[in-house]
Amino acid sequence: MTTALDLAALATTAFGLVAAAVVLAAAGRLLPAVAVLLDFLTAAGLLRLAGDPSWSTIAAAAAVIAVRRLAVAGLRAPRPG
Amino acid sequence: MEWAELRGYSRIMDTTAEVLPESALRDAVDLLVRLVEAAGALIIFVGAVWAFGRFLLTMARGAGPDRRFNRIRLTLGRFLALGLEFQLAGDVLRTAVAPSFTEIGQLAAIAAIRTALNFFLGREIAAERAEIERDRRKDADGSRARAEPV
Repeated sequence: MTTALDLAALATTAFGLVAAAVVLAAAGRLLPAVAVLLDFLTAAGLLRLAGDPSWSTIAAAAAVIAVRRLAVAGLRAPRPG
Repeated sequence: MEWAELRGYSRIMDTTAEVLPESALRDAVDLLVRLVEAAGALIIFVGAVWAFGRFLLTMARGAGPDRRFNRIRLTLGRFLALGLEFQLAGDVLRTAVAPSFTEIGQLAAIAAIRTALNFFLGREIAAERAEIERDRRKDADGSRARAEPV
């Protein structure tokens, strides 16, 4: 099951990269593209957490989610000036 | 407690252990956890595939407004939240058998991550929904103003 989950997580990451590129090309703005990429990366992190995760997997998933939250908050914050 | 009573209890415990040994319980719970977690993972993966397909379809139909992308992200968020609920159910099931302290620690960490993520996803979904609703209302007001010139 772990191999299947790893494959699914890898596929989800690839989907995220392509979808972010598509959104960037269509919308011409970075914010929606990054938001889409981070959504897919969160999905990949959740897939990796299923099964029997080790401490390093848990730490990696937590780091991805924390970075995601930080990036979304940073992108949503109003620009000074 | 009388000696005879104690022996009676011990006999009952022995019978229970014979009927439902801990290893069998552990196996059954392990199987259930795997099933529930697989269902959660499947939901998350299906959501990712669906969102990917929708993004490509939206692109193929021509670049639309950002709102369309937001709507797809909203649905992906719903899939993620549903998958998370299943995985949290798996975590709760895992606590049914007596685990070691390392397992308890890992379980607590995973459950904390999933619960926090579920909370943030819920907030994001609510925010996105409010934004979509606001845009829709603005569009409706705009078209009404155009239809009824002063």
